[in-house]
Amino acid sequence: MRGREFSVLMGPSLLVMFGLLVVPLVRTIQWSFENVQYGSPGDFVGLSNYAHALTDPRFGRALMFTLLLTVIVTAAILVLGYLIAIGMNGLGKLRPVILGAMLVAYVLPTIVGAVSFSWLFDQNFGGAVNWVIHAITGQDVLWFTETWANRAMIIAHTVWHMLPFSMLMILAGLQGVPNELREAAKIDGANTPKTHLYIIIPTIRGVLGFVCLITIMDVLRTFDNLIALSPQADAIGNESIMLYVFDSAFRDGAQQLGLGSAINVLSIFLIIICLFPFIRGLLKEAKAKA
Amino acid sequence: MRFPRPLKTGVAVLAVAASLAGVTACGAGSKTGGESAATVACDYPMPAESTTVNVLAYNSSAIDPFTNTMVKSCSRDKVTLKHDPIDFAGQVTKTTATLAGATGSYDVLETYGFVVPGLAEHGDIEPLDDYVAKYADKYKLNALSKEMRESMSYKGKLYGLPMQAQMYVMAYRKDVFDAAGIKPPTTFAEMIDAAKKIQAQGNIKYPIALPWNATADITTNFQAAMNSYGKDFLDSSGKPQFASAEAGKALEQMKSLLPYMDPQVTTFDQPKVQQQMFNGTAAMAIMFSGRMNDLTLPSNTKLASNFAFAAPPAVESGAPYLYSRLSVDGWSIPKNTKLDKDMLFQMMASSVGEDASKASVPAAYPAREGMVSEDSSKYAAAANGTIGKTMPAAGDPKAAPVTNAIRPILVQVITGQLDVQAGMQQMQSIAEKTISGS
Amino acid sequence: MIADTIKAPSGKAGVKILTAPRPRKKKNPTAAILLIITAVVMLTPFIWTALSVTKPTDVAFANPPVLTGYAPTLEAFQNLWETTYFAQYLVNTVVVAVISTVVALVIGLPAAYALSRFPGYVSAILLLLALVFRSLPRFAVVLPMYEISKSLGIYDTTFALSAALVAINQPFTIWLLRNFFADIPKELDEAAMIDGCTRIGMLWRVMIPLMRPGILTAGIFVFLFAFQEYLTALILTDTSSKTVPVFITTQLGQTLPMLQQAGAAAMLLTLPVIAISFIAQKYLVAGLSDGSVKG
Repeated sequence: MRGREFSVLMGPSLLVMFGLLVVPLVRTIQWSFENVQYGSPGDFVGLSNYAHALTDPRFGRALMFTLLLTVIVTAAILVLGYLIAIGMNGLGKLRPVILGAMLVAYVLPTIVGAVSFSWLFDQNFGGAVNWVIHAITGQDVLWFTETWANRAMIIAHTVWHMLPFSMLMILAGLQGVPNELREAAKIDGANTPKTHLYIIIPTIRGVLGFVCLITIMDVLRTFDNLIALSPQADAIGNESIMLYVFDSAFRDGAQQLGLGSAINVLSIFLIIICLFPFIRGLLKEAKAKA
Repeated sequence: MRFPRPLKTGVAVLAVAASLAGVTACGAGSKTGGESAATVACDYPMPAESTTVNVLAYNSSAIDPFTNTMVKSCSRDKVTLKHDPIDFAGQVTKTTATLAGATGSYDVLETYGFVVPGLAEHGDIEPLDDYVAKYADKYKLNALSKEMRESMSYKGKLYGLPMQAQMYVMAYRKDVFDAAGIKPPTTFAEMIDAAKKIQAQGNIKYPIALPWNATADITTNFQAAMNSYGKDFLDSSGKPQFASAEAGKALEQMKSLLPYMDPQVTTFDQPKVQQQMFNGTAAMAIMFSGRMNDLTLPSNTKLASNFAFAAPPAVESGAPYLYSRLSVDGWSIPKNTKLDKDMLFQMMASSVGEDASKASVPAAYPAREGMVSEDSSKYAAAANGTIGKTMPAAGDPKAAPVTNAIRPILVQVITGQLDVQAGMQQMQSIAEKTISGS
Repeated sequence: MIADTIKAPSGKAGVKILTAPRPRKKKNPTAAILLIITAVVMLTPFIWTALSVTKPTDVAFANPPVLTGYAPTLEAFQNLWETTYFAQYLVNTVVVAVISTVVALVIGLPAAYALSRFPGYVSAILLLLALVFRSLPRFAVVLPMYEISKSLGIYDTTFALSAALVAINQPFTIWLLRNFFADIPKELDEAAMIDGCTRIGMLWRVMIPLMRPGILTAGIFVFLFAFQEYLTALILTDTSSKTVPVFITTQLGQTLPMLQQAGAAAMLLTLPVIAISFIAQKYLVAGLSDGSVKG
């Protein structure tokens, strides 16, 4: 098609994305160099917001926690998603039912899921998990004030929320594994774990890569569920980067909009760095096609 | 015709949702003014165009009667009052947000003595003296307690129309106390004794419940502890007192209670403390009086008839005051509202009128004099006695920012991550920085 | 007529997932049981909330939890409707979701078509940009939107929230639709245009009917994303355009009866979403699987 047609068809979408994504982004970058609050023009302070952010122990903690969460959750949903997908592959009539049940966790609004999840762990509200644990071991786990217990709960919720997506993607990918390949492996004497490791997984590595990409992208930006699951996030070292931005840049009247914006910019770099291997792959594909 | 199973399930779920909505949704929005709220005369000049008045007020059994009276009585013809339910933390956030700019979202704000000086100093809320003078007779505003009006004043001008006062009240399980043979404690040491005896009975593991929420209430409680010794966060000249001996004693006494409280006490706001009492997992709690009425309602808990009330203890015997804070709640008008401030004042004034104030008892302790007697409620006697023994709270615009600054350090001291002396030094220095820097 | 001769792309892998013939190897009952247990575990938070909001207030959050011996009641739902503006919040949520879905599709369809038919470096770069935009931290975009909307006077309107959501979800919409378009052979375009159609006419009369599954899929996803949205709504709404997720979080520090109402609100928000996920399962699966495995 001709270039002009291309521009006309792409026009509205590009306009919307430019006006409503790029323009605010530029503003954020501008704010990151200023000491500013809403409603007043800011004073230019150069790189001091960045310096503050990079030397702030709170940012360091947020960074560590967010990265930790990302790594653990990505690993968990890849493994669990794979196992469940393999299991689902063997199902017949039951498949749509289980699929539907599992999708519920994915389609629920994150914050709603997090609130429901938190009630299960809150002793004050008759949380079932606490009750079961107490009945079995006689101990009580402090889900909201102990750092690692809280992390376990947050990881559990994030995995719960993202698992259906991973499972579905891998299941779809498995449909594309030719049966002949599997049978050939069996003839060659490969037992099941080896079949999986050396035949199936390499075949679906595109799908696995994609799941990795989306999960990393989403978990690095964790925010919604921490509101319900970790009301004292900073005090116990479970604050995510986005929660830190919210706290500094918006919560108490946006006192530190400049600092929050600097952290936003830094997170953009972080995300792009984490996604770099995938981006490079896509660029290579594009070059090959062009 | 066979429908696939997922489709059938989906339609079934939709049917459930629709019937759930249908059965319960009749009368949507019909009781937004509160069914039991008193309706009073709310007589203001009707504006020309249709107007919505947005009221910002958190929900509690003490505030709701006044809010609901205002919404119910003053909405008519072209004017609608709108009050979105919101919790206390939400109100704090929204207050800052709505006052930070040339236009705001709310036209009537619930404020309390602690924040009034800061807001007034910053020029965010409207002085009300002229309106009070104008409408004193119409709404009998002179019957509003003078002390409470002073609590809501700054530099001699009134910035909030007081509706009620809240002070700490101790609620306890009379049945548990009787079984253990103990009387309501009058000092922290006695509280610990009582807790030990209750623990020995075997049913309640952590008998004491206090709202030491790490993101808000804990500083109020620390302040109450210091007040008991006669010291406040800032002295009369505005200097921070965190390095004083009293501050150290307050911290030690607070820490001594920890073994008798749920280990997650730093996540408890007042509703969670109420919940512990409802569930019977605590035997005594100290909270603001506005949260006491909920404990007496059988709809909230099967233990409703077992609760008794007393004045809060002093931190130590011989301390000049009780472990208590006096907080006066009232209505303020933001400077950046676009509506007619005279009309807003009249709405506020009618909500604190005689009928409304009378109807708010026993849940609230109205600012209007002569409303509360010893038998107004189960805790009226306790409340009356406590007011006189609570340290008067001097308003300082720097109090709120200082409180926010010391809070994380206070949490670290209480949870044991920081020792008391180091914590005191850090609080003192950050308080001084906050006062000078901002 | 041209459309009839070519089968519409329906998410081939997706359909396979749902309509797979019985596997030839013997079924593994252990796997089935484990999967049923997994499904139940995944549903537990939802079931628990449903239980909590149908109990009378005095036992709803009792510790230890009360599972029997009470009369279930819908009082929390009734109070929710009657004493709060839940009806308005629900309407806001639905309105924002519908508007942003419709607009996102209207502007996303032509763009996705263009990207699928104009291969080359430019398209690849644009798609890559779309990916990068999708990965942006929301606050970097929404905090300035707060300022912009206030200065334009559209703060706290469903319009502002819808516009924000259209933009935020555009990258995903384009990506997904483009993959569906890629399934339709290019020869079809040329054939239609030889017959005298203009490009736009061909889009309208030929492509869109063929793309119905893709459009439905993208529409359902954008609708779900808008329905779920919390962060953007938190920043851009206040009293008039508040949505249900924001309302629920303002009730987390409330006393018992209002907390139950928040749970009831969560249920009323969730049930339609679950219904959609069952009814439109085919499309969700197609979108998730086909929309990204390729390309």
